[in-house]
Amino acid sequence: MLQVLLSGLAIGAIYGLVGMGFAIAFYVTRVINFAEGQLLMVGVMVAAWLARTGLDPWLAVVVGIAAAAAVGAVTYLVAVRPVLAFDRFSFAWLVSTLGVALILENGAALIWGPTSRSFPALLTGTSVHVGSATLTLQEVVTIGLAVVVAIAFELYRRKTLFGKLGMAIAHDPEMATALGANTAVVAAAAFALAGAFAGLAGVLIGPITYSNPYLGDTYGIAGFVALMIGGTARPAAAMVGGLLLGILGEAANKLINTQASDWFPFVVVVVILLVLPEGLFSLVGPLRRLVLRRSRRTSPVRVAG
Amino acid sequence: MTGAISLPRASKPALFVLALAGYAVFAYWAAHSTLYIQGLVLVAAVFGMLAVSLDLVAGMVGLYSLGHAGLFAIGAYATTILYNDHHWNLFVILPVCLAGVGAVGLLLGAISLRVSGLYFAITTFVFTLVLTVFASDFKFTGGYGGLIGPIFPEFPSWLHWAGTSVTWACLIALLLATLVVLAIRVSPLYPVLLAIRDAEPFAAAAGAPTAAVRVGVFGLSAAIAGGAGWMFAFQGIVSPSQFSWQVSVNILVMVILGGINTTIGPILGAVFITVFPAQVNINPFWQEVLFGALFVAVIVAFPSGFVGLLRLVWRHALRRLGAGRARVERAVETPAAEAVVAPERVNGAAPAAPAIECHGIVFRYGSGPLVLNHVDFTVRRATIHGLIGPNGSGKSTLVDLISGRLRPVAGSIEIEGTPVDRQGVTTRVRHGVARTFQSAVLVDELSARQNVQVGLYTRVPRLGPRSLAWPVIPSARRDSRALRERVDESLSFVGARSWAPVRVSDVPHGIAQLTQLAAASAWGPRTLILDEPLAGLSPKEVEHAASILTKLKASGVSIVLIEHQPRFVFALCDEVTVLAAGEVVATGPAASVRENEQVREVYLGQ
Repeated sequence: MLQVLLSGLAIGAIYGLVGMGFAIAFYVTRVINFAEGQLLMVGVMVAAWLARTGLDPWLAVVVGIAAAAAVGAVTYLVAVRPVLAFDRFSFAWLVSTLGVALILENGAALIWGPTSRSFPALLTGTSVHVGSATLTLQEVVTIGLAVVVAIAFELYRRKTLFGKLGMAIAHDPEMATALGANTAVVAAAAFALAGAFAGLAGVLIGPITYSNPYLGDTYGIAGFVALMIGGTARPAAAMVGGLLLGILGEAANKLINTQASDWFPFVVVVVILLVLPEGLFSLVGPLRRLVLRRSRRTSPVRVAG
Repeated sequence: MTGAISLPRASKPALFVLALAGYAVFAYWAAHSTLYIQGLVLVAAVFGMLAVSLDLVAGMVGLYSLGHAGLFAIGAYATTILYNDHHWNLFVILPVCLAGVGAVGLLLGAISLRVSGLYFAITTFVFTLVLTVFASDFKFTGGYGGLIGPIFPEFPSWLHWAGTSVTWACLIALLLATLVVLAIRVSPLYPVLLAIRDAEPFAAAAGAPTAAVRVGVFGLSAAIAGGAGWMFAFQGIVSPSQFSWQVSVNILVMVILGGINTTIGPILGAVFITVFPAQVNINPFWQEVLFGALFVAVIVAFPSGFVGLLRLVWRHALRRLGAGRARVERAVETPAAEAVVAPERVNGAAPAAPAIECHGIVFRYGSGPLVLNHVDFTVRRATIHGLIGPNGSGKSTLVDLISGRLRPVAGSIEIEGTPVDRQGVTTRVRHGVARTFQSAVLVDELSARQNVQVGLYTRVPRLGPRSLAWPVIPSARRDSRALRERVDESLSFVGARSWAPVRVSDVPHGIAQLTQLAAASAWGPRTLILDEPLAGLSPKEVEHAASILTKLKASGVSIVLIEHQPRFVFALCDEVTVLAAGEVVATGPAASVRENEQVREVYLGQ
């Protein structure tokens, strides 16, 4: 059981990172970047290719992440910005970002071939024992890094000016522009950051999956579902969604059958959405109020607001 | 609906007949061409139907469904299984398919409508996903390999000259699906659907049961998808991979790439996406890269899709022909002398009862602070009752409670003596209550005339079912004419008749306000609630609006007027209620309220 939980967390951390990538781009621009999964693939492919050419694997990994971020920003400038400039509320971005996904996936297949190629092993060689369960060091680092990154992002979003700017643009881009915010730069930065998240997920999963141009499909959809579970109000919630999805998938494979992870988590998602249409974290607000009210009743000091 | 493209009225039917003839010629050619081309035509026509059906929900009511591949799958599998295992007649299966998948659609729609926007897409997405997983796992669906579909019956001998029957069948099916959607587009239901999509409070205040209409349209769209599934079964093999969620996304891409909410856009998109990969024979990776690059290029250059491109070409051609339209100068006119909109008796209410009576209304949003605290509010018949108070005093909340958009925590509301506490917005409309909204809530892409038409929703009997064949129903044609007259009367009444054909996004603020007023008063309500109708109007326009309200009052309409500017209120209103911080400060005849010490202090700042 512990093994299921920990393996679930390890794979869920990857889903969560991709989910946060979706969420960060969506958060600022209200656009689902359908090429987000392909950005993960870009990270994997570039890192694997550089490592094959003899570059230090750790440096290759860093360049892979940077490449994913760069492609993310370019996606915004080429495929999203012109469409939003025409009509902020249209869904035309669905077509253009899917187009980017097609270009990236098949472009990668053209350049590096459609089959799986090697990826530097990094930390997969070392095992870590946790109680009765065994994880690779790579998996432990993945879980740790994902949680740290999610928390760091959330702090950054709430505490820094740039983070607040993102919030303002998400809320009302016209007003934010009127106040002097450069929406294009902030949005492009958000897409780059979203790309970096996907790239990070890619180099973390690369040693297990190896590099192949079709990785984007699998992890893209899982990341998207992670976003749905978490809701779109806070990007970091997608990390929790991803971890949950990972555990559900592992458990379904163990307890139902080996293909159950193809559908079981999705059914759970729909049930969650039907009960809580705004995502799992819509519970947080009312719960907090409930707790606050109870504590308010006991204390004579009224909480303002 | 761009307004820039207009042909002489008489040439429209001729153009329609010409298009049909061209389509028939194409069908004849296709039915006599090679098996390869026929296969391509079948698939393109089936996806054309799917795109048309998805455009119906996505384009007209704003539901971006990813469930269409699943609905499509049910149609195809049901046809194949009923034919192979149960030996049903194929033409019995068709109506069963339409009705069955339609019913599934109603159910899916009713469940998923709890969630909106993106979440609607994801719920329907999971529907497709789970269906394909089941189709791959079960024996009776043939697992991953799928099933071999039925063969379409040949034409009888006297029709052999026409060629291959299945090609005709799929092209006719596509035509029928397109015509049904076109019928809705030209019916008076169309503006109502767009109002449900873009301005839901407006549609609801006009008496349209918005949730039910959405579910109904989704059911119809599902039925068409089921029909497409029936047709698709004749293509050969029915297997899970043909109905994956990617197919759902593809259908949506067809709609958007072709041009959302247009008649031929979805078909163009479907043809492009099915024919392009089959006809372009290059390295498959290069082909996909090119495909993706075309997606980006088309949508970035023409965000409204292929139809946007066609419109551009068309406009260019018209300009070449020198058909440029002269700009018409428009202004607010003097309103028609008579109050043409006579209030009608909807039910036999006792005339003595007040129009609106609220007792002890208490309201708060969620667990927030009190917005309204024990408010009593009575509007006498055929009077103008001013409701004033500073920002945040609860005026708009009170009228939302009266119209039924919000429910009070405590207290009761009566309309013409009937308690309405348990009734929703649409039922209250049937008691003769109409309202407008603070900042004009209208459908921007429709003309002023079409917007006013939304207000007449309750005046067209059985609009929903009749809209499916609107242009060919004789009584519908009569209704259309009557409706148009009523709309134009109503626009004349507010003095905005000359703006009737102009898109609301292009009219000045004052005209938008007047259009709202025309829409709310067109169907003859006995009580009108106007939320700041004078806000942002020039002094001349205010005078104009005031004269309209006086006329409405003279014809027996009771009016609640929310307003900020005290000088108009006291001049215009018979009675005034002043709210401050959720409580009634004063209420009574305008003159006595104006003299009230507290009102002067709290509100007039004297």
